[in-house]
Amino acid sequence: MNNPYAAIPATILKVMDETPNIRTFVLRPEREIPFLAGQFVELTVPGFGEAPFTPSSSHFKRDTFEMTIMKVGRATGALFGLKPGDAVGVRGPFGNPYPLEKFAGKDIYIVGGGVGLAPLRALFLALTHEIDKYKHIYLRYGARTPNDIVYRHLLPEWEKLPGVDIDLSVDVSDEKWMKKVGVVTCLLEEIPCDEKKSIAVVCGPPIMMKFVNQRLLDAGFQGENIYLSMETNMSCGVGQCRHCRLGPYLTCKDGPVLTWAQIKDIENPFA
Amino acid sequence: MLSTDLRSQWMSKLLERFTVFVPAERENQVHWHRLEPADLGSGTDTVTPALRRIRASEPVKSFMFNPRQQVGAFPEKLKPAEPKTRVLLGVKNCDLVPLKVHDKILTDGEFNDPFYLAQRKNTILVAADCPVPEESCFCNLLGLTPFAGDDADAALSVCDGAFLLEVGERGRELIDAAPDLFRKASEGDAGVTRREEERKAAVAALNRINPTPWNPGLPAAVAAKRKDESFWQKHAEKCVECFGCLMGCPTCYCFLLYDQAREKGLDRTRVWDACYLAAYARVGGGANPRAEFVKRFANRFFCKFSDFKTDHGMFACSGCGRCFKACMGKIDIRKVLGEL
Ligand code: SF4
Ligand code: SF4
Ligand code: SF4
Repeated sequence: MNNPYAAIPATILKVMDETPNIRTFVLRPEREIPFLAGQFVELTVPGFGEAPFTPSSSHFKRDTFEMTIMKVGRATGALFGLKPGDAVGVRGPFGNPYPLEKFAGKDIYIVGGGVGLAPLRALFLALTHEIDKYKHIYLRYGARTPNDIVYRHLLPEWEKLPGVDIDLSVDVSDEKWMKKVGVVTCLLEEIPCDEKKSIAVVCGPPIMMKFVNQRLLDAGFQGENIYLSMETNMSCGVGQCRHCRLGPYLTCKDGPVLTWAQIKDIENPFA
Repeated sequence: MLSTDLRSQWMSKLLERFTVFVPAERENQVHWHRLEPADLGSGTDTVTPALRRIRASEPVKSFMFNPRQQVGAFPEKLKPAEPKTRVLLGVKNCDLVPLKVHDKILTDGEFNDPFYLAQRKNTILVAADCPVPEESCFCNLLGLTPFAGDDADAALSVCDGAFLLEVGERGRELIDAAPDLFRKASEGDAGVTRREEERKAAVAALNRINPTPWNPGLPAAVAAKRKDESFWQKHAEKCVECFGCLMGCPTCYCFLLYDQAREKGLDRTRVWDACYLAAYARVGGGANPRAEFVKRFANRFFCKFSDFKTDHGMFACSGCGRCFKACMGKIDIRKVLGEL
């Protein structure tokens, strides 16, 4: 019988600095982790614990995969001390992928904040891999300063892709910054797609999610078309330990992405 | 049916085949005790009276869903051990029913806990009646009886100098261990009649201890209090945050995985966790949806009397009364829910 708590070894192939406190780790697991965009894996830093992260690379290539991680606690702190060649543990995939079949033929309006662009990148890559299936892909991304933008080297490439429209903002600019200045909602003043029919996908810090969600609702997006990445404490990842309970859901099994229609009655869902 | 005089002979036969746990009295409390051949010599029989007492202090879940259990190693693999079959002799209904909670959670079909399953499967559960419910007992409010239905492998009733043993398929092994000692009971046996009388009396006693049934719409009534902090606050005030109510509870199923480094690799342990702990719902970045204690206090009630019922069709409580007995503030679930 499979042991759902057992991690399999993975080797760190490469570590890339994204921002002063965010890095992308390229991992080669001993066995392929058959994830789809939106699903997460539990990452073990030997000796320091385990934490859930969503792969940020394309699910069309899975012999290696990437995770973009912000240093926030004990496990991530230890992870930042690891180098290429070091071993970590992974188990998964867990949770539900983005329901791409429901996205087909529609405009997809993606809004990210800070390190929240990481899971959205896996989605973005899955969408652009089969771009003809979707109408148009909009990406709106905000970071604190220009130095806090993740995937800085990739964004110019993405902007050139056909069927893709990208806009960026920073809360605090520097002299070189040419795009918008303000919190991410400043990118949502004009929404170029049909709000009633389009899909919105949001990932970022809770306070950003709260305001973006409200803005999307005000603009006319339907609750069932707004997909939100919910962050809760998790331990087992497989629907047993109950830590990730959010209203009637277990975010590890029912999420990690839930729609606004699903969570609207929960008291303080972005707490 | 077995005469109580033959009790020791039967149990020593059981010990030849199994590891046996029985309830035993210590300082007026009942505790699980691993039976040793020496217990069966001369001297006073502490087992028989304890079988007639209410549930032991330790919840039966601890035998399968251990307080601490190693569930992984890294980078190598860990397999569950396959120990000798165990017999738990004298499990009360309020400990049997909670095992369904753990079965649902830990073996949902998609992800199964092999360590729980191995221990669940190697355990023969022998139920025992509760002829004398105590003030802390409220299984009747949960619709349970003070004697087992068909959730056990065998059921034992101790009355009038006889052990009445009813066995299911697996429980047969208990008779097969000493077939000569048993005889088939029949309707007219004094023990059988006495068992029915005692069961009726026990139900009546529970109805006296807890005369008022709960609101039949309890799950909805509990859920309706989600935003009413003042309701929870007046009960939470008496709580000293010792978490005894959760740690002794036979249905609480929360756990935490934690890793300990070894020279080369790590051991992963599953430990019981409790939603009353401040860190329980806190995320890596420090945000906590239940930072105030009153929210954590109320969570126990939402979990047990609303969420679990909605998700799995049963309450995550069996009325065993351990939480009340453990509570320094004497917070009684019956009183809290009685107000709804
Ligand atoms: S709560 Fe009911 S089943 Fe449990 S010990 Fe008391 S009488 Fe027995
Ligand atoms: S959430 Fe609380 S009440 Fe529910 S099972 Fe876990 S510890 Fe027990
Ligand atoms: S909540 Fe209290 S009465 Fe109910 S099963 Fe748990 S310990 Fe027993």
